[in-house]
Amino acid sequence: MKNIRLDRRTALKGMGAIAIGLPLLEEMQVAAAEQATAPPVRAFNVFFGLGIPSPLQAEGFSDVLEPLKPLAKKLLIMRNVDQVRCDAPGINAHYDGASGAFTAEPPDGEARSGGPSIDQVVRKTHYPQGLPPGMAPTIVAGTFFRRSRVGRYVHSYNQDGSVAAAMQESPRRLFQRVFGTYQGKGDDAAVRRRELRRSVLDTVVEQYKFYTGANSPLGAASRARIADHLDRVREYEQRAYAMQGQDSQAPSAPARSELAHGGRADPGGEGIDITLEELTSEWRLLADLYALAIQLDRVRFGSLTFLAAGERIRLTGEYQYEGKTRFLFDDAAQHNATGSKGCSHEWWHQFAMKKKNEALRAHGHMKMREIAYFLQRLDDADSLEPNGKTILENSMITISTESGDGRHANVRRELSGVFHAISGANGRFKTGQILDVGAQGLDVYNTMLAAMGVAQQLGPAETPRKSVEAILA
Amino acid sequence: MKNTCTLLLAMAVVAGGGLICRAAAPQSNKQPANDNAAVGNAPAQHDVAPTQDDVRVQSGLLALYDFQDSTGNVVRDRSGVGEPLDLQIVAPAKVRRTPGALEVRAGGLIRSRKPAAKIINAVRRSGAITIETWLRPANTKTKGPGRIVTLSANGSERNVTLGQERNQYDVRLRTTSTSTNGIPSVSSPKKSLAAKRAHVVYTRDRTGRARIYIDGKQVVEKTVAGATLNWSRAYHLGLGNELSQDRPWLGTFYLVAVYGRDLRSQEVARNFQAGPKLGVRPASVAKAVSPAHQFFETQVAPLLAKHCLECHSTTAKKGELDLSRKESALAGGESGPAIVPGKAEESLLFQSVDSDEMPLDRPALSGQEKALLRRWLDDGADWSLPVIDAAAFKRRRVAKGNWLRRLTVSEYIATVRSAVGVDIAKEALAILPPDIRADGFSNTAYNLTVDLEHIEAYADLAQRIVDKIDVSAFAAKYTSSKKITDKNMRPLIANMGKWILRGPLEEHEVATFRGVSTTVAAAGGNFEEAVRFVLEAMLQSPRFIYRIENQRGDGLPWPVGDYELASRLSYILWGGPPDEQLIKAADAGRLYEQKDVEKQVRRMLQDPRAVERSMQFMAEWLDLNRLQHLAPNAARFPSWDKRLAEDMRTETLEFFKDVAWKQKRPLADLLNAQLTYATPRLAKHYGLKPQAAGLARYDLHDTPSRGGLLTQGSVLTVGGDEASMVARGLFILKDILRGSVADPPPGLDTTPVPTSPGLTQRGIAAERIANGSCGGCHIKFEPLAFGLEKFDGIGAFHERDEHGNKLRDDGKMVFPGGGAAVGYQTSAELMNLLAASEQVQKSLTWKVTQFSLGRPLIEADAPILEKIYRQAQEDGGTYASLMTAIVMSDLVQKTSTEKEP
Repeated sequence: MKNIRLDRRTALKGMGAIAIGLPLLEEMQVAAAEQATAPPVRAFNVFFGLGIPSPLQAEGFSDVLEPLKPLAKKLLIMRNVDQVRCDAPGINAHYDGASGAFTAEPPDGEARSGGPSIDQVVRKTHYPQGLPPGMAPTIVAGTFFRRSRVGRYVHSYNQDGSVAAAMQESPRRLFQRVFGTYQGKGDDAAVRRRELRRSVLDTVVEQYKFYTGANSPLGAASRARIADHLDRVREYEQRAYAMQGQDSQAPSAPARSELAHGGRADPGGEGIDITLEELTSEWRLLADLYALAIQLDRVRFGSLTFLAAGERIRLTGEYQYEGKTRFLFDDAAQHNATGSKGCSHEWWHQFAMKKKNEALRAHGHMKMREIAYFLQRLDDADSLEPNGKTILENSMITISTESGDGRHANVRRELSGVFHAISGANGRFKTGQILDVGAQGLDVYNTMLAAMGVAQQLGPAETPRKSVEAILA
Repeated sequence: MKNTCTLLLAMAVVAGGGLICRAAAPQSNKQPANDNAAVGNAPAQHDVAPTQDDVRVQSGLLALYDFQDSTGNVVRDRSGVGEPLDLQIVAPAKVRRTPGALEVRAGGLIRSRKPAAKIINAVRRSGAITIETWLRPANTKTKGPGRIVTLSANGSERNVTLGQERNQYDVRLRTTSTSTNGIPSVSSPKKSLAAKRAHVVYTRDRTGRARIYIDGKQVVEKTVAGATLNWSRAYHLGLGNELSQDRPWLGTFYLVAVYGRDLRSQEVARNFQAGPKLGVRPASVAKAVSPAHQFFETQVAPLLAKHCLECHSTTAKKGELDLSRKESALAGGESGPAIVPGKAEESLLFQSVDSDEMPLDRPALSGQEKALLRRWLDDGADWSLPVIDAAAFKRRRVAKGNWLRRLTVSEYIATVRSAVGVDIAKEALAILPPDIRADGFSNTAYNLTVDLEHIEAYADLAQRIVDKIDVSAFAAKYTSSKKITDKNMRPLIANMGKWILRGPLEEHEVATFRGVSTTVAAAGGNFEEAVRFVLEAMLQSPRFIYRIENQRGDGLPWPVGDYELASRLSYILWGGPPDEQLIKAADAGRLYEQKDVEKQVRRMLQDPRAVERSMQFMAEWLDLNRLQHLAPNAARFPSWDKRLAEDMRTETLEFFKDVAWKQKRPLADLLNAQLTYATPRLAKHYGLKPQAAGLARYDLHDTPSRGGLLTQGSVLTVGGDEASMVARGLFILKDILRGSVADPPPGLDTTPVPTSPGLTQRGIAAERIANGSCGGCHIKFEPLAFGLEKFDGIGAFHERDEHGNKLRDDGKMVFPGGGAAVGYQTSAELMNLLAASEQVQKSLTWKVTQFSLGRPLIEADAPILEKIYRQAQEDGGTYASLMTAIVMSDLVQKTSTEKEP
């Protein structure tokens, strides 16, 4: 991996005691005060795309789920979670399933969820007056390349179904979100517009880069002129969006990502070529930063996405696990196809119990490895809290996905066995088990919320409730 | 000029055009009659010598193979367009060559050695293509389809392929609506393919209408939707097989041609009538440029212009030696012949520079320059230019480089107004840095630099512009939906972007802008907000801020693409972006033919924007903005009212509008038209009796002292308070006569010499001209201002100056470039001389052309400018005729390209 692991110790050492940024100092004082008594209430949603077909979930840790095994004692793995109620006929199976993750609701249009996500419901209950000063109310981040329809990759939603925070899709942006000054208690309109304008500027930079690059139609003199322009745009970007309040000794911001982001990341659903090295390096840096933000008590709620619902990538590279080569990814060549038909997504379309499903298994395994990477970051020495448990153990961390099958032939089959896993939430939920819950996602989530001391219940009021006692500790 | 044109004409032939490069160029060297025996079912009239009508269609041709060579492994591209795309016979044993035919046997493949860039680039831009073949399939069983002509990588990735599927022709074309394999394809009817010679044409226009013709008759028509913007740039051209060699075709080729446009049915018929042998002269036999001429024009003439012509021009003619013309140079001067062809050592020219005697009081020639001069003299002193235009050569270095053009402030304002209907003039003028003049104009591309201020302003203005837009209503022009899904947003972005960014968006651009909308959606934004931020991004895009054109190719001039031409026309004629009609014409491929373009130009010249643009030219040419800062010495000119400066500006612009647009008179009449426009204040200043309360037109037929631009205050004030003969003379020399003169020597005291009793400005000038150190240059320009002496520094007319000295307006002048001195008795006579001067008319041609192109003109442009001048004069010499000639010329219709790395 290319990335240098960023951890809490490194960050604090780099910051020093004197020159520490004011917002960070404040937040850490608050955090320290709180931690003296009990771990704070936290809830995070971790999403991965394309799902794990139910039959493969049934294999336990012997194959696809193997990377979660080291964390098995701190997770409750739930099979047979039924999200069929999230199906919205005529929209998109991937989108429906993804929208249902953490909300148990079908989507409400292409950019809204049908209801709030569980992390936000917990936040509202436990922090009705807002988070402590200097703390981000919610951070939403992810490494993904499928952008049409927000529900594919955003997994924190407000009460009204709108997204809970702007997506941070590059490590550099997430870094700035974590280490920069945070103005005000909430995402006010000005801050939001500013962030969106920054995305506009990113787009502008991309275009100027194109005209200075190898495929530019311009001659040498014109390319030089455009390069000049690009330099000025970057200067403008630095001035207009310079981080405020960051200590000069804080860890250096990650370099600009070389991976496609924004529109370039999703050429109309046709998919992009990417190596395993590129994918995991970017993701792990993002995961490190998100974990660091939690460790520094910069954030207590939010979501993290590793590959969007219906993700389309053509992955290449040798996949090793525990020092052994497990698979050689080369989606396009293995499909003997280009464009969308050459993407890993097609392995899910082709899933069949009678087949070996080697490529799908390898992709699924790799995803679990990367999800485990993030979870482990919340379970290491830097994540130990005063109660002797780690952040992973103390928080409500929910892992889910979009589908339990992938062949789009049968909604029930596709959405009736969606993989879920939760952490213990400081002893509220069972861990160390693989459980066939056989319940609706709505009931699972409502049971979780109740255990978290939340009175609000998801779903329509008239819907019969059924507590899923089996998941409670 | 004949010799001068040789190089350029040769290039024009190579590039397939004349003045109007985009139209078919009739060829004079017709080929012999077609060999009917070689093409069995071709019409019998092929046996007779082709008439003009038989000549093949040349417009839009990209590659042409006639298989004339019967030996070797190379099939030559004889299109004469751009860099030849020659083909290599991969397995010579699998083909049989005879003159005019190439038979492909099992497994043969003929392919280009490198990607077919000129075809791919052209079709990506045009969205249209024609593949024409004369061929004979070996059988009706080949399937696969067997690849006859293909532009592809392998069995599943292609841009286009003409193939044989048993007894049908089949064409696969990759577009944004078909697969990467070009499917669905278009097929000719069953049994339309026979094992006999046939003329097969596949043609597809930008709108998607695809047709197949066999032997001149259309056999199928089908729509192949989508754009060709997704064509791969990497594919090679292949004949007789797939590039992966697994889809062989068996048969014989007689001719293959590829066009970057669709052919109309008459054109298909014309090519069918022409038969398989060429009716055009192959590029390979185009007249070669003489190396000696080339050497003179590119090496020697610039050297003489740089080092010698300051003193040895027709005007200065020191030592009676004029080195600007062949005849006078060979004739020599006071010291005898300067040039002895073939003998450098005996040439006074070489002797004097070799000894550093010359240039006098100027830096000596470098060793390399001396060697170059020696070589030229020793080689016979070939002289191919009628006159060495020092002004053109002076710009040579400056003009080097093909700069894309940033929109000027006025163009930015006009573009915003047209694109989104917002008037942003006030804000843009307030926060955008002004464009700085260079080479006489503020739209000179190399000087349209950018700084942080620009970036801040563009970002700020983008927000302000979008704030003024009813985003929902604007978006409703492109979509009826408000969904933020791909299905809705991508077409919206593509269509909206095409309008705002002045041409279709490529897929990667759609994806980039789509990213903005998804980010907005991911932040909880709605459709309107998504469109808003997409608009902000578009307004800061390089495609909005700059006029992006393809500049890469093979190093030769290429015809500009349709949308590029639409933008060129609109920015040149209107100073703003193309309107819907122009974009529609580009969409329909209706900017290829001369008549179509001329129709657009006529329409555009009727538009008020054309008048506005011409006024911008006048303001730039005469630097009228200078008047805003005019501050004459109040003690010396107590009657000066600073409002006069604006009156003078208005006078000149209204005068121009009257002459050029209302009366449609030749532009040269600007020098002596007997009318003007004045406010009562200005009329009084000029000694005219005010005729109205406001601005009014004044007939000057009875006012001999005034009439024409040079008698207007806006121009006369260039001489400053002292009414400097130097400043006025230089203005006339450089801006009216397009002459040149060297800069004064470093350290020279240029403080104006004041007049005094007994010493007028003319007297001061006469002293300078008589001075040995100054006169060589000053004689070139100060006499040009003698006729203006009666106008003081602020343009008022006097018979005597402030000291009571009597003033004169008679004199003699020599036009730059030659001729004897011409005398005049009054200022009015001077104006008439100038108005009648071809030099002035040509100078106006150069000035307007420079402003139109946004770059200084160089010697390589001279032959085209000569054509523009002559065409414009033929059509009346008006502004409209000049603009028409400019935009129809190769300077606008073609773009210079840089070789692909």
